[in-house]
Amino acid sequence: MKEIRIDFEKCTGCRHCETVCSLQHFEDKINPALSRIRIYVDMENDMHIPILAGPYTDAKCTSRYATVIGGKEYGKCILCRAACPERDIFFEPGTEVPLKCDLCGEPPDPACVKWCTSGALTFEEVDEEKEEETA
Amino acid sequence: MYGWMGKILRIDLTEHSYEIEDLDEDLAKEYMGGRGLATKILYDEIDPEIDAFDPDNKMIFATGPLTGTGAIGSSRFVVVTKSPLGNIGNGNAGGAFGPEIKFAGYDVIILEGKSPDPIYLWIEDDKIEFKPAEDLWGKTAHETEDQIKSQLAKESWKKRGVHVACIGPAGENLVKVAAIIVDKHNAAARGGIGAVMGSKNLKAIAIRGHKSIPIADPKAFKEVVSTLLDKVKDTPFTKNFFANGSSGILHIYNEVGMLATRNFQTGVFEKAEDIDAHLITEKHLVRNRACFSCPMACGGMTHVKDGPFAGRAERPDFETTWVFGADSGCNSIEAILKANNLCNDLGMDTISLGSTIAAAMEMFEKGYITEKDVGFSLKFGDAEAMVKLVEMTAYRKGFGDDVAEGGYHLTNKYGHPELFIGVKKLENPAYDPRACQGIGLNLATAARGACHNKGYTMISEILGDAVKIIPKTDPFATEGKAQLTKDLQDDSCIFDNAGICLFLLVNLWTKEILEQLEPATGAGYTMESMKLVGERTWNIERLFNQKAGLTGKDDTLPKRLLEEPMPEGPAKGRVCKLDEMLPEYYKLRGWDENGVPTEEKLNELGLD
Ligand code: SF4
Ligand code: SF4
Ligand code: SF4
Repeated sequence: MKEIRIDFEKCTGCRHCETVCSLQHFEDKINPALSRIRIYVDMENDMHIPILAGPYTDAKCTSRYATVIGGKEYGKCILCRAACPERDIFFEPGTEVPLKCDLCGEPPDPACVKWCTSGALTFEEVDEEKEEETA
Repeated sequence: MYGWMGKILRIDLTEHSYEIEDLDEDLAKEYMGGRGLATKILYDEIDPEIDAFDPDNKMIFATGPLTGTGAIGSSRFVVVTKSPLGNIGNGNAGGAFGPEIKFAGYDVIILEGKSPDPIYLWIEDDKIEFKPAEDLWGKTAHETEDQIKSQLAKESWKKRGVHVACIGPAGENLVKVAAIIVDKHNAAARGGIGAVMGSKNLKAIAIRGHKSIPIADPKAFKEVVSTLLDKVKDTPFTKNFFANGSSGILHIYNEVGMLATRNFQTGVFEKAEDIDAHLITEKHLVRNRACFSCPMACGGMTHVKDGPFAGRAERPDFETTWVFGADSGCNSIEAILKANNLCNDLGMDTISLGSTIAAAMEMFEKGYITEKDVGFSLKFGDAEAMVKLVEMTAYRKGFGDDVAEGGYHLTNKYGHPELFIGVKKLENPAYDPRACQGIGLNLATAARGACHNKGYTMISEILGDAVKIIPKTDPFATEGKAQLTKDLQDDSCIFDNAGICLFLLVNLWTKEILEQLEPATGAGYTMESMKLVGERTWNIERLFNQKAGLTGKDDTLPKRLLEEPMPEGPAKGRVCKLDEMLPEYYKLRGWDENGVPTEEKLNELGLD
């Protein structure tokens, strides 16, 4: 199975992925607020972290997990992929319909991967067993 | 309308009130957007003779129809206003503030009047708030952005969508080289426009939008951007900009003997290797950063770990590396980074400030000013003195108060106007026109003063063989340069009006802009009609300047570049032969021998 892999070290924060994702799903509209991928720009640490929209959840979670990326710790809500009532990302403004990445675009590559020229997003075969070992 | 949002937000700072107006469709098409549209609005709405700091002066923030669309390099917005230098002032910036103006639903924001107290604006779609900014007054640009974001949103993830354009202490103190700082690391810089914002008691604009930019033919648009991305992503110039920023091409200009050094005393910097951009990348670069929708990612964050210039700084662009390097005779990349960071944080234009300091250095070395005036020794190459003076200028401390008035006033005050290297009171960029004739003509005729970005003739004269977009021409020749300059000036207007970063010209041209503009807007533009938009833009700026009191006599270059032969290097013995090009240029422009647009020309452009 193929999956979008994210190499945040390479992400430049250009947000081209956001624009093409909205165009892909809303046909005649360009709007990062409609995108199923969002770039978290961490100005203090100069990190640009792509987040792919995951499943919808109807309640805020109680997780206390912080994620460590590149040696920097991020509070639980920042990098979470869920469309969650706690935050206003991954919901369509106006209708509040949750948004989820559906690996769109014309093969071989999803739309956002195609427009990501830095190499931060790639579409790769994942070896599921190996995945589990490293996880 | 497609591409355009179709709305203008008009803000009355005096009354703290606002109106949302429709953007006239014909007007939008005629000027496209950005610089052209903003200049037209300013020209129609203010008396060009007024003082820049008069509350009746307005500031026009304008995007183009491609801004924010994902067209390649579509990050740009422009700020147009009457400049403290007395002519038309404009500065454009990348980052993602411009796109956010569109996502909030507007093409243009017009700022009028003057707020009674310091404020900042908070624009979230149709919600406009005038927020007190007393506690922000005096803060640096970085502190301002952080503080505003914290005020507007508690959680980190909420702050992410807010974009801020603000002034630093320099703009508040009406420093004539003050800039507007955008997203912390980008600047709408030239002509002292940050001071105009300060004069209006406006510290910042924070903006966030949730609206969509409508696209006329989305399928075609997506296809053309995909195709162009494939074409652009691996070119040698993209690779160079990505690896080393725009400073990556600095050495080329030194090799051809046109890298202005020590206030334009020569065109060869003997220590150019010490400030070569690859050293910044190797020693200090943390990570690249791109403006909205740009594959070149020429920005980035650097971190100098120790020494007197330790700290974090934005990767400097070409002009900044030049001005705090060659032009100041300084060979410390760490000092360049520090000066760049101070300029971004205190809110100043690196080119104008650095050039003014270089002029002061020459005055100091020649004995026209002394330690008694400056407070310390100010020789070329003295990195610490340079960095100190940057800071003093923003706060108008001591000799910094003189520097804050810009090179024209500084050199005049001390009786040596010949050491001011600039046009229309605006300091020259890096390129010595004695070694490259066309750029001399462009610098002499650009409405905002000495600006390379208004007609980057080096794309043919120097880079022609490498870029292969327009034919290479001989930099020492004057024949054909009037036409080249005019064409490039009109074409650059199209970049600025559409909302595309001009750096992209190393990869694409107006044809590629049209390929993206048409599916985005469906407005029926052609190469010919775009060319007219460019020409119209150029002429309306001319008309504005004329009404502001400028004449053909202002289309000139500093004496040094016209009369003192280049002392060394490939251009040794040469001067800029402006008089061989200017009359032909006027003719091609349809202007009379005094540089006044003829009635036929104005008729043709619909400007009568
Ligand atoms: S794969 Fe498609 S849906 Fe998923 S983030 Fe990328 S562009 Fe959006
Ligand atoms: S397109 Fe790629 S580099 Fe640009 S923001 Fe998205 S993931 Fe980052
Ligand atoms: S070339 Fe550089 S300055 Fe221009 S849009 Fe791209 S990243 Fe920004």
